[in-house]
Amino acid sequence: MNPDVVKAIPELVRGGVLPPTKAPVLLRVARGELLSVHGELRALLYAGVLLLTGGVGLLVKENLDRIGPLTIAVGIGLAAAAALAWVIAKAPPFSWGPVPSPNLAFDYMLLLGVLLAGADLAYIEVTFTPLGAHWAWHLLIMALLTGLAAFRFDSRVVFSLSLSTFAAWRGVSVAFFGATLLNEESAVRWNAIGCGVLFVVCGWVLARTGRKAHFEPVAANLGWLLVLGGIGSGMLASGNAGLAWSGALLLVGAGLAAGAFRARRFPLFAYGVLAAYAGLSYLVVDGLDLEMMGCFWFSITSLLLILGLLFAQRRMRILS
Amino acid sequence: MTPDCERADRNDAVRGAAGDWQRAGVIDEATRQAIEATVPDDRVRVGPVFRVLLFIFTVIAVSTGFWFLSMFLGLLHSENGAVFPGFALVTGVVLALVTDFQIVHRRRSEGGTEAATSLLAIGYLLAAAAWWLFERMDFDLRHGLPVLCLAAAVLAAIAAWRWGYPLYAGAAAGAVLIALAQWPFGRLLWIALPLAAAPFLLRLSESSRLPPSHRTSWTLVLGVALAGLYVAVHLGSWEEQLVEEIGQARMLQPPRSDSLWWLSMAATALVPVILLALGIRGRGRRYPLLILGAGTAVTSLITLRWYVHLAPLWVVVTVSGTLLVGLVLGLRRWLDAGPSRERGGFTAEPLFQDLARLRLLEMGAAVLAFSPESRSLHEEPKFEGGGGQFGGGGSNSEF
Repeated sequence: MNPDVVKAIPELVRGGVLPPTKAPVLLRVARGELLSVHGELRALLYAGVLLLTGGVGLLVKENLDRIGPLTIAVGIGLAAAAALAWVIAKAPPFSWGPVPSPNLAFDYMLLLGVLLAGADLAYIEVTFTPLGAHWAWHLLIMALLTGLAAFRFDSRVVFSLSLSTFAAWRGVSVAFFGATLLNEESAVRWNAIGCGVLFVVCGWVLARTGRKAHFEPVAANLGWLLVLGGIGSGMLASGNAGLAWSGALLLVGAGLAAGAFRARRFPLFAYGVLAAYAGLSYLVVDGLDLEMMGCFWFSITSLLLILGLLFAQRRMRILS
Repeated sequence: MTPDCERADRNDAVRGAAGDWQRAGVIDEATRQAIEATVPDDRVRVGPVFRVLLFIFTVIAVSTGFWFLSMFLGLLHSENGAVFPGFALVTGVVLALVTDFQIVHRRRSEGGTEAATSLLAIGYLLAAAAWWLFERMDFDLRHGLPVLCLAAAVLAAIAAWRWGYPLYAGAAAGAVLIALAQWPFGRLLWIALPLAAAPFLLRLSESSRLPPSHRTSWTLVLGVALAGLYVAVHLGSWEEQLVEEIGQARMLQPPRSDSLWWLSMAATALVPVILLALGIRGRGRRYPLLILGAGTAVTSLITLRWYVHLAPLWVVVTVSGTLLVGLVLGLRRWLDAGPSRERGGFTAEPLFQDLARLRLLEMGAAVLAFSPESRSLHEEPKFEGGGGQFGGGGSNSEF
């Protein structure tokens, strides 16, 4: 219920600003007489998928000995196939552009099918080891299959899972958006940076070719988070290596912030600013031996940054 | 809130609604601009990303500036122990004035900096109050905490009223509940006060005389009060003496046959039903009550599973998921089949909901919840099972 909007609508109609035909439905919504539960239904479907996949996981864990591996593998496979078959039957024709979902359940059945298929593949690999020493390749296979499903059925959620599965294949966990990288070793760090660059390039190609261009923000955001997380994790290295990584973070962060500012990509701008600030602060504070001077540095630079941000925001407003 | 701020707040509500209407395709760009011209915005606002950055850097600047000055002026090691808390008190007062200056005189709203200074002002004032209570007055935690909570409630309530931040109102209500828990009959107060206040809070949350921020503030107070009521009557909370634990007044656990146990069980089942009924009743749908009703209903169902073991956990979880999906799809079909695709004032059509933001949230949640564990570059694969851990579009060596 929004009394201010309820009061404003008749005034807007009287003033000739709002067409009278539109007023009744707007008034009903503003008075709370008509309530959309679309978002809530989506959230509940999402929770339903979570519960279902969680239940399957528990089933396997609690009944592994009783049911037997083959039954489990076939059972999960059939469930995944049923969900994906429903999706294939309902899917609209393929297009390189955005395709609206045919119904509310479509995205979630696709997600359920992909998750169950992924679980089945992992279970088969762990239990029957068909790939032998190359067991980790099942992650790559799953990333590619998930990517195909994302493109065919136009799902950005599944596309993000495809990217995170690919990163997992390279030993990089995308859970918590790369924050877990901070304790990682050198090999994982380079893998994270490599995956990030690959995702950013992939996004750029998608946008450039106009093929699923609306997937680009997913790839770009995840990619830059991995790149910055990977470089940032290097700052924890001791000695000159740590300083070199912080210098790199400063440069990459500043470059990203500048580019994102010009392109009006605000989330990327925020990543860039925070990364550059972290890199610069590490370089400076590492050389200070007094706690007091560290406080002075953070206080003054934060103030300067606030002024810079306010200036940038004003300039952006003037330009737009 | 000053009259200027109130007017800006009301105008912002109409402008926001116009934006929603345009996004839903009910009105065109020209109409939206015409509406915005009738409710002009005189506030200085920034976008969400700049807002977050400005908030973060203001918090860093003020906090580190405070510590720098404390060290530089030697306040931390002053012989007079009151100097450092006194400095915190002065900083808190200055920050409150700075916040007021930004909001009232500089007309900043949703700008990040004023939110940060308001939060820090409350923090520094509370820190000074804590020092005064525990160091100067020599209160122990049991006696000092209620006073500190009440002080926090007063400060947060003033901030919500003056600057129009609903979150502070919710925090104030929470602080009052914590303070009440320390008193004798704390659980009874958690039940009686929300019950007595709910009708008034509901009326205030819908009052056209209040600006939108204050209405939202009262809605949050109502939400916190009713959540407190549910916690107080909840069976698990009764058995675990949760309210008494918060109040550090844990009593002996009552026997299961006690009539209060049965009352608590009945209330755990009834509160969600009553909240949902109140949310649906009348001409206007009361969204906060519906959300609270749904949330408490889920909690009560989980509680039921805790006490009544109908089936193994995997069966309960899988059947719950299947039922939930079935229920949602059935509900959607039922609503769509109604006249004008609505029934009883509910529709499954998006209307003016921001679907782009919803999808962004879904994507973030999917990456967090379903991202597979990365393979270790050194370990061999192993199977561990574990509900929901097998994640992702992917699979994982730990399943």
